[in-house]
Amino acid sequence: MVDYLTAAGYLCESVVTYHEAIEKIDHYDYNCIVLDIMLPGGSGLDILRYLKQDRKTDGVIIISAKGALEDKITGLEIGADDYLTKPFHLSELSVRIAAIIRRKEFNGQSIISIGNMRIDTIGKTVFVNQQEVELTQKEFQLLLFLTINKNRILSKNAIAQHLWGDDMDFPANYDFLYSHIKNLRKKIMQAGSEDCIRSIYGEGYKLQVS
Amino acid sequence: MKLFARYNRINITATILIFVFGSIAFYFVLQYVLVRQLDETLRGEQQEIVEFVKLHNQLPDIQNTKHQWITLQPTMFMQGRSRAKSILVYNKREDEQEWIRQLNFTVNTSTGMYSITVNKSETETEELLKGIILVTIGMIGVILLFNYLINRKMVTRLWQPFYNTIASIKEYHISSQQPLQLAKEPIDEINLLNESLNQMTHRIHRDFHALRSFTENASHEMQTPLAVIRSKVDTLLQETEGRKETIQQLLSIEDATHRLSKLHQSLLLLTRLENRQFLFDEPVDLENIIETKSEERKELLQAKNLSLQLNSVPVTLNFHPHLAEMLITNLMNNAIRYTPEGGSILIQLTTRQLTISNTAIGEALDTTRLFERFYKTDPASEGTGLGLAIIKQICNAAGFTIAYQLTNGKHQFTIQFIS
Repeated sequence: MVDYLTAAGYLCESVVTYHEAIEKIDHYDYNCIVLDIMLPGGSGLDILRYLKQDRKTDGVIIISAKGALEDKITGLEIGADDYLTKPFHLSELSVRIAAIIRRKEFNGQSIISIGNMRIDTIGKTVFVNQQEVELTQKEFQLLLFLTINKNRILSKNAIAQHLWGDDMDFPANYDFLYSHIKNLRKKIMQAGSEDCIRSIYGEGYKLQVS
Repeated sequence: MKLFARYNRINITATILIFVFGSIAFYFVLQYVLVRQLDETLRGEQQEIVEFVKLHNQLPDIQNTKHQWITLQPTMFMQGRSRAKSILVYNKREDEQEWIRQLNFTVNTSTGMYSITVNKSETETEELLKGIILVTIGMIGVILLFNYLINRKMVTRLWQPFYNTIASIKEYHISSQQPLQLAKEPIDEINLLNESLNQMTHRIHRDFHALRSFTENASHEMQTPLAVIRSKVDTLLQETEGRKETIQQLLSIEDATHRLSKLHQSLLLLTRLENRQFLFDEPVDLENIIETKSEERKELLQAKNLSLQLNSVPVTLNFHPHLAEMLITNLMNNAIRYTPEGGSILIQLTTRQLTISNTAIGEALDTTRLFERFYKTDPASEGTGLGLAIIKQICNAAGFTIAYQLTNGKHQFTIQFIS
């Protein structure tokens, strides 16, 4: 996880016990903390309470394998920003972290630039060379997901789960995904952007920028 | 019939019977005693006359009173042992028939033999008897009445703790945070009941929570390695330098991990459903869920060229929001998965039932095995085989009934909200 996030350009630190975690958050402020609920030495929920008592503004994503609804509700009530159930795609975690950091640092960070493309994450609009590209909601989400995980291969399953959620029963071939990718590519190419979305042998996709 | 009413009925019948027989016996005993007393007075009188005759050899002066009088009459025969007897005579003064007690005996005087009869009216005795009987019956009545009233009032009060206990048991749910805590009561039996219930729920509670934390921990222990596998696959995927075979293999590992994790979540959900770990007490807007979930599946439907028709009215049920979503998504996923390309799905929601039907290929499904875990018509199918089992269990837990039938070439599942 640390490798993946480091490669995505984040500065990451990781600890494995409750007490190490408390020590770290006493000493440093983080943009985002990814918190497992079950930790050796204590509950992740207690760390969350500790953070909120200290009025720390660190963003928190809770990770739990329990899938127990109570944990999710308690976590969000205490003040977690997001909740992920194990197992998840690292690309999904990456998008959630990016979203939290964007929310925390509101000053102009809502615009993501990639090549000659600018993505406004608040207005949910995309500009290529100052020209707005009309995208559907799904296409916008797809572009954002690819952009945040740029230069990485994303499986069709990861993309489908990000766009449609986890309670869907996807057909094995993910054909329906293909048309969305195709439309998105067509729209941004027509607007004059280079074709940066690569298909990886039809198994996955990648947004390639140098 | 309430315990007390039954007890009261027996009690009152027995009491009345005892009082009736008691009163009859009392009447005869009392009468016997009073008559004996009368006879004693008569014999006293006889004694006096006999002694007087012995002493003076002549009859004494006879003074009659209203209630006691003596008649004499010369006789030729000597009468043997004298006996007292009751006879009915006419009383001129009172103009009525009345019972008198008389004792007849003979004395021998200088002027000859006389038969003497000592009479004593029984009216006094009878009146006394009447009075006593009246008072007794009156008292019995009063005792019965008071007994009944006191019982009625007291019993309701005495049983109140019992009804309190029943009310607490009714409200108790196994997944609540606390075991049952019934208060101490002054009455031993109720106290015993409460203590036993407290102990029992305490044990159940402990076992239940142990089981629950076991399933949750087991789940955690299993999902964590799966999460590690998936994140390693994600990482490896980036390092393959574009080799097709490697990518395909990694993706099939990822897919298997995903399936395994889904399967495990489903089994866990089934366990929790069977343990009745959910409360169905939140109002849930079913129509809204159906609309949202159909909207989310728009692209999937388009990809398979399926048409989805929704006929619904607003329906709000007391349900569990998460399970309501599970129910709807499982039904929809099922329909979408098994409808052949170009087919149609119809969802009908009324206040009484939810019906979802889809174009069928082949024959009707085996209704006896349909809702079993891991039952698949096509063993090669990708589904977990748990979807319908989950639907069935959710319905069971919520008190709904679910039925399947094949009508007009359509698989049709009907969920009745009111059973």
